[in-house]
Amino acid sequence: MRIRVIRDKCQGHARCWAQSPALFELDDEGYILPADIVVPVEQERAAWLGAKSCPERALVIEQDGKE
Amino acid sequence: MPNPAPVPDHVPPDLVRDFSYFTGPGMCPMRGGDPQGALADLHDGPPVFYAPNNTYDGYGTWVFVRAEDQRRVLQDAETFSSHRRIFEKALGYDLPTIPLEIDPPEHGAYRSLLNPLLSPKRVMAMEAANRARAAELIDGLAAKGHCEVMTDFAFPFAVGVFLEFLGLPQSRREEFLGWADKQFHGTPEERGEAIRTVIAFMEELVALRRREPAEDFMTFVVEARVGGRAMTDKEAVGMGALLFVAGLDTVAAAIGFDFRYLAENADAQDRLRADPGGIVLAVEELLRMFPTVLMTRIAACDTEFDGIAIKAGDRISCPSMVANRDPAEFPDPNRIDLARENNRHVAFAYGPHRCLGSHLARRELVIAMEEWLKRIPAFRITPGTAPLTYGGHVFGIEDLRLDWEVG
Repeated sequence: MRIRVIRDKCQGHARCWAQSPALFELDDEGYILPADIVVPVEQERAAWLGAKSCPERALVIEQDGKE
Repeated sequence: MPNPAPVPDHVPPDLVRDFSYFTGPGMCPMRGGDPQGALADLHDGPPVFYAPNNTYDGYGTWVFVRAEDQRRVLQDAETFSSHRRIFEKALGYDLPTIPLEIDPPEHGAYRSLLNPLLSPKRVMAMEAANRARAAELIDGLAAKGHCEVMTDFAFPFAVGVFLEFLGLPQSRREEFLGWADKQFHGTPEERGEAIRTVIAFMEELVALRRREPAEDFMTFVVEARVGGRAMTDKEAVGMGALLFVAGLDTVAAAIGFDFRYLAENADAQDRLRADPGGIVLAVEELLRMFPTVLMTRIAACDTEFDGIAIKAGDRISCPSMVANRDPAEFPDPNRIDLARENNRHVAFAYGPHRCLGSHLARRELVIAMEEWLKRIPAFRITPGTAPLTYGGHVFGIEDLRLDWEVG
């Protein structure tokens, strides 16, 4: 599983970070780091919850290369 | 209320609806009302409509009902400007609150300057002091067996946090509360006077911190550089003014609505007392059900939204309390589920103007509930009383009397 980060859409709600601070890292302003996130298998549920919690829909879940 | 502005010619008559945040059913000031719930049935009607008299000063607004449409409006800050000139009428000149009333791309520099001051990590560093403030206030009430939550706890707590952030002495609390009350809930004349008082206060504070720097917010602002030049006095005043507008009574009102819900739902109190770990999600769900702020934008140019012509200067209202009950966004939207997941509500707006203080506000709400439930046993609304609720630009609750057994 991969999380595609649409950095332009991030507005710093930090709801993903609240779900999983290790997976969704923030910069000093509280906005997500721009790189896509490769999710270890054991963290897939946390990643899914984090991506789903984004009010701006800035995080897209990709499974086997598909959304 | 002043005479409403006429409905503009480009508004199709079939989209005009008799609707007002100020006087509509459930939103006018009343005892024991549910102003957010009163809006839930908008999802049975058209996704966009026009309300001819829907601001405190008699302007018409478009009302956008669906969460997805509000997201489109609020994410497109260049078409739907946030520069509403909210102080112009009172001051006789425009003094934009910053960063709220600055649109992208200029907005970014101000926002980047202030974001680190209120980032999630920075807010964590304020946690202990804020928790101690809440605990002390509640300890002072516990043995009494009753209180009026807004005056005795919600306002002193929220305003105390605000004053500390701004670097102002706690002794000014009552004075600030009086200004806030008039600005948000006064007559148009009282609002004007309160705004002029706040601006004069901020101007003095800016001058003071230029003269005598301290370790505080305003010193940081006046010493900051933006776009490669020094901050002007007017910009610094605009930033102080925004904190005042946005941070004073919004958090207090949210605490009020949260505690009213708990007072009316003893089982929810019991569950959260037994499992305080559930409070973080519960606060999110109550933010979804009882948000207090409406987002308003002004069209910067003529545009079209799903076939509806919108002219430059039209006001567009995005009520968070309506988007938060959109069945397309939230399963079973009118049911309160304190453990709800995927709760991407819009209590703090969408888009570049997302509430700068959202991380602090969330922690204040969590701390308030945790410390309250730790110290106060089963509580209820005092029999024979009912809180005063109202709609408007900021929804609110007052005179919330609670009691509990002491022993």
